[in-house]
Amino acid sequence: MASVTLEHVKKIYDKKVVAVHDFNLEIKDKEFVVFVGPSGCGKSTTLRMIAGLEDISEGTLKIGDRVVNDVEPKDRDIAMVFQNYALYPHISVYENMAFSLRLRKMDKEEIHRRVCQAADILGITEYLGRKPKALSGGQRQRVAIGRAIVREPQVFLMDEPLSNLDAKLRNQMRAEIILLRKRIDTTFIYVTHDQTEAMTLGDRIVIMKDGFIQQVGTPQEVFDTPKNLFVAGFIGSPQMNFLKARLTKNGQGYAVQVQGITVPLEEKHNEILRRKGVGDMDIVLGVRPEHTSVRFGNRENAIESTITVNEMMGSELHLHVSTAAGDSVILRLPTVDLDDQTRQSLSYGNKLYFNFPGKVMHLFDPKTEESLLY
Amino acid sequence: MSKKNEVPEVDIVIDHEAGVIREVKQPGLRSKSGHERRVNGGIYTVLVIMSIIWLAPFVFLVFQSFRSYITESGGMVAYLLPKQWSLDNYIWLLTDEKSHFLQWYGNTLIIALFCAVIQTLMVLSVSYTLSRLRFKGRKLIMNVVLVLGMFPGFLTMITLYFLLKQLGLTQQGAIPGLILIYCASSGMGYYISKGFFDTIPKSLDESARIDGATRAQVFMKIIMPLAKPIVIYTILMAFMAPWGDYVFASYVAFGSEPNYNVAVGLYRWVNVNDYQGFFTRFCAGGVLVAVPITALFLALQKYYVEGVTGGAVKG
Amino acid sequence: MNDLDYLKLTGLSKLAYKCRQFFCGIPKKLAAFFLGIGRFLVKLVMGIGSEIKDVAATFANGDWKTKLSYLVMGFGSAARGQWGRGLLFFLFQTVFNVYMFMPNASFSGCYYLGKLSTLGTIETYREGRKTVYGDNSFFILLYGVLTIFFILAFIYTWRMNVKQNKLSEQILKSGKKLKSTKDDIKSLADEQFHKTLLALPTLGVTVFTILPIIFMILVAFTNFDATHQPPSKLFTWVGWDNFRQLLSSDSASYGNTFGQVLLWTLIWAFFATFLNYFLGMLVAIMINKKGIKLKKMWRTILVMTIAIPQFVSLLYVSKMFAADGLINTYLMKWGWIASPIPFWTDPVWARVTVIVINVWIGIPYLMLIATGILMNIPADLYESARIDGANAFQMYKKITLPYMLFVTGPYLLTSFTGNINNFNVIFLLSGGKPLSLELSGNAGYTDLLITWLYKMTVSDTNYKLAAVMGILVFLVCAVINLVVYNMIPSVKNEEDFQ
Repeated sequence: MASVTLEHVKKIYDKKVVAVHDFNLEIKDKEFVVFVGPSGCGKSTTLRMIAGLEDISEGTLKIGDRVVNDVEPKDRDIAMVFQNYALYPHISVYENMAFSLRLRKMDKEEIHRRVCQAADILGITEYLGRKPKALSGGQRQRVAIGRAIVREPQVFLMDEPLSNLDAKLRNQMRAEIILLRKRIDTTFIYVTHDQTEAMTLGDRIVIMKDGFIQQVGTPQEVFDTPKNLFVAGFIGSPQMNFLKARLTKNGQGYAVQVQGITVPLEEKHNEILRRKGVGDMDIVLGVRPEHTSVRFGNRENAIESTITVNEMMGSELHLHVSTAAGDSVILRLPTVDLDDQTRQSLSYGNKLYFNFPGKVMHLFDPKTEESLLY
Repeated sequence: MSKKNEVPEVDIVIDHEAGVIREVKQPGLRSKSGHERRVNGGIYTVLVIMSIIWLAPFVFLVFQSFRSYITESGGMVAYLLPKQWSLDNYIWLLTDEKSHFLQWYGNTLIIALFCAVIQTLMVLSVSYTLSRLRFKGRKLIMNVVLVLGMFPGFLTMITLYFLLKQLGLTQQGAIPGLILIYCASSGMGYYISKGFFDTIPKSLDESARIDGATRAQVFMKIIMPLAKPIVIYTILMAFMAPWGDYVFASYVAFGSEPNYNVAVGLYRWVNVNDYQGFFTRFCAGGVLVAVPITALFLALQKYYVEGVTGGAVKG
Repeated sequence: MNDLDYLKLTGLSKLAYKCRQFFCGIPKKLAAFFLGIGRFLVKLVMGIGSEIKDVAATFANGDWKTKLSYLVMGFGSAARGQWGRGLLFFLFQTVFNVYMFMPNASFSGCYYLGKLSTLGTIETYREGRKTVYGDNSFFILLYGVLTIFFILAFIYTWRMNVKQNKLSEQILKSGKKLKSTKDDIKSLADEQFHKTLLALPTLGVTVFTILPIIFMILVAFTNFDATHQPPSKLFTWVGWDNFRQLLSSDSASYGNTFGQVLLWTLIWAFFATFLNYFLGMLVAIMINKKGIKLKKMWRTILVMTIAIPQFVSLLYVSKMFAADGLINTYLMKWGWIASPIPFWTDPVWARVTVIVINVWIGIPYLMLIATGILMNIPADLYESARIDGANAFQMYKKITLPYMLFVTGPYLLTSFTGNINNFNVIFLLSGGKPLSLELSGNAGYTDLLITWLYKMTVSDTNYKLAAVMGILVFLVCAVINLVVYNMIPSVKNEEDFQ
């Protein structure tokens, strides 16, 4: 069990291409950290540097108190689960799990005990005698995890472990990883491109893009207070709506004018803007679909729009609408309270009015793409 | 309707795990129209004619090897089937004291066995290194080998001959000399097995290294067991090549008859000696060489197929 | 022309456009090539400069152990506890010194190096019954090259030795420990595993391929031939004379013959590659067609020709086609022909015969390759084409052929250069015959450059011309490779296949 510290870590390929820029992060002991971002953002490269599979071009990496920049992967006391499982095809599941222990010349009885225990935790005891190719995808993934946990490593690395599984299995394995984590309390670093996985698994999430860290925080933090446009758009599903808007200062208070309506800001936001000395300016306004409200009766101070797509998700509706100014917006609407007649009216081509309160608004500077509020 | 069946249909698949081409029976009935039947008939005709052309020389070879040297003729004759079947030629080859055939055969076998072991080790080392390990100078090595490969092999023949002569490995020492020459540069033929190694996922190596294996252990414990098809292919190729080499073998063993390999000995019977007298003996010798090699080859055919198809696609 | 304009073009004009692009690009590429060489030279000079600077700086800043290492290699390493490395350095230096300055002067590196400019001046002769040994041009050249190799290796090792000292000092200064000899040996199975694996193959290739090739390239600039056989007759440097003799077209030279042989070599390589390719593909398609039974048997019958050693099968087939061979005798017996067909004695017949017999050799091989690739073509491509309304031939032309050509592009290239050097088939079938008075240098009508080279080496001991020919064959192959590499996309990137 150990902390992992990255200080000014950089990865440069061929002296030209920078894959990871100045990465600083301290991962506490027993913390579950998720690196998330679109493909090519450098999250896997960072993980592989921690594993020792890639050289670190600059900066220092510590596991516990030890600087491990030049330590071979086998001496870092880490375990890793790969996206394609990387099971050794020519030996049985048992031998796959025992492989690392045998290399360490561990006592046979101890190996047996550990393999059996891990197999028991993962529910793969009955497959121990099989070769990996006789297993299903989910079972293989369990074996890969089992191979990692028999080591009892200080740090547990997982590189997109669920992305080769189908949707249903993925949800199931996600839940199992949460349980697993409770049982083998150690440091986890988990890489994924799927924001749902990141949100559900991580104690903290590191959101990356183009080799830069965009934001580090708990799932709640990155959802509530995204620092920039990218994070705001990446976290949350369906994606946050972005609209061009104008921020105006009116005495001590601020208000946002968008699509013909004016929404005043809350006092705590006013205060932040005042402190920053923000004046009138064009902004990008972000509103999450679940924070909008559709106005059926009172159309005052609501944006007029036309329904283009109506997606029925079961417990809720996703309405894609097009505003008079031509922007498209997604609205999320619980279905419980809707009567039949209202549902009928929510079809293609019909008019719809919606608005939102000031406290759910995210304001971004269009030039820097940074949030004005957080 | 019938035309669609002329596509090279996927009713055979390459089974990569077993390394074989396997036929898969397609379920379902297909109505055979007249056109279809005519097309198939045509194909069968072509295939039968081809089979005859392909097999004929070997059948003839066998026939003539059984022609009696004593009662008929040892030379080329104007008829195919021997008038009298006999084992004269074989008996002469194997027992006559003027025949060096057994010695040649033994020489070639020794060379082939050594090559099979040493060349395989060399080729596997080079291809594994270039495929899996990343180090300074890797690209340089590959480019140098590429350039060297464009020089014709015989260019260096006399230099090699004198090098061997300095080491005392010509004429009487031709066997170890040939083994040395065949093996020394064999690492340059790494392409096909590198292509194979390239297809093994890199995450296996990485996983093993995290599990605590050194690179040497990764090579021995993970990659080698998976590389069985290509190991067999390499051994097969290394073993077969010396049986057919005339040029270097004749140059290195020049004038020392007991140190010829079969190719040199038999070639000299038909081209240098009076072949009219030795033709049937050549046929018999050819049969004795071809039968075991062909049997071995056909037994290991699937590995060969995998090697050449993989090699052709990979380049 | 922009992308969309290009996309509008059809088949031939696309090709024409590509060719035009290629040839228009040549001056640019040549310029880039020479610029590249220039840049490389500048880099080399600068590199050497900075190396020398570093060597001097290391000496100035180093401690006494480092300084002594400049004279006694490996001293610094040994003195700092790295016994293994130190010993290796020292051993290498000792061997080098002994070789260069051996007491027996006629075996030392210095002797060979000194004679290299003349290739020896004293011929061996007999004085009565005693042989008085002089120089031997052959060994002077061979060992001269070897000595130069050795000196370069020494300089490199010496530089490593200096660098080693500098690094060790730095490491010690920063308070870390140096690797022990035990660690060094361990690392040969891990971080340095490539050195372990490549050591023997590299040595083999250096001594038995690189050294001989450089030697032969140098021979091309000497008069080493039948009349200059050391030690009794020495050979010496003659500059570009041999190239002139082989390439110029006056009557005493081989220029005309060389041209003819080169042309035939290219024709041969073309047919041997493409005829086999298309026929092999055709056979593969036939055997793999749905509804054809006994697929495995047909394949095995064909594959037999690969298995049987070529000297058996080709020699036998060659005899079958001889004037008194089976084919002629049976054709005459059946009364189809009056006199034997001159398979091996008429130039045109001989050339056609070798190409046809090579098809017999080549089809099985290509059939196997084509089978493998055909089965990898995704079936849904054909299904989609069928839905689009394509017939069998159109599907072949639009799917099978392009797919095959794409994946086998690199193979076709290697196969073409391989056929330029296809010694066995020609040598065993025709031996280059028929000969002709119109061709000089003993060349025959079916001789390829490579078989001609062989004849020059073995029958004529005309090593100088053989060496020139070898260089020219290399140039032909290299040019073809370069041109094709620039035109086929699939050969360029190694990692694309991984």
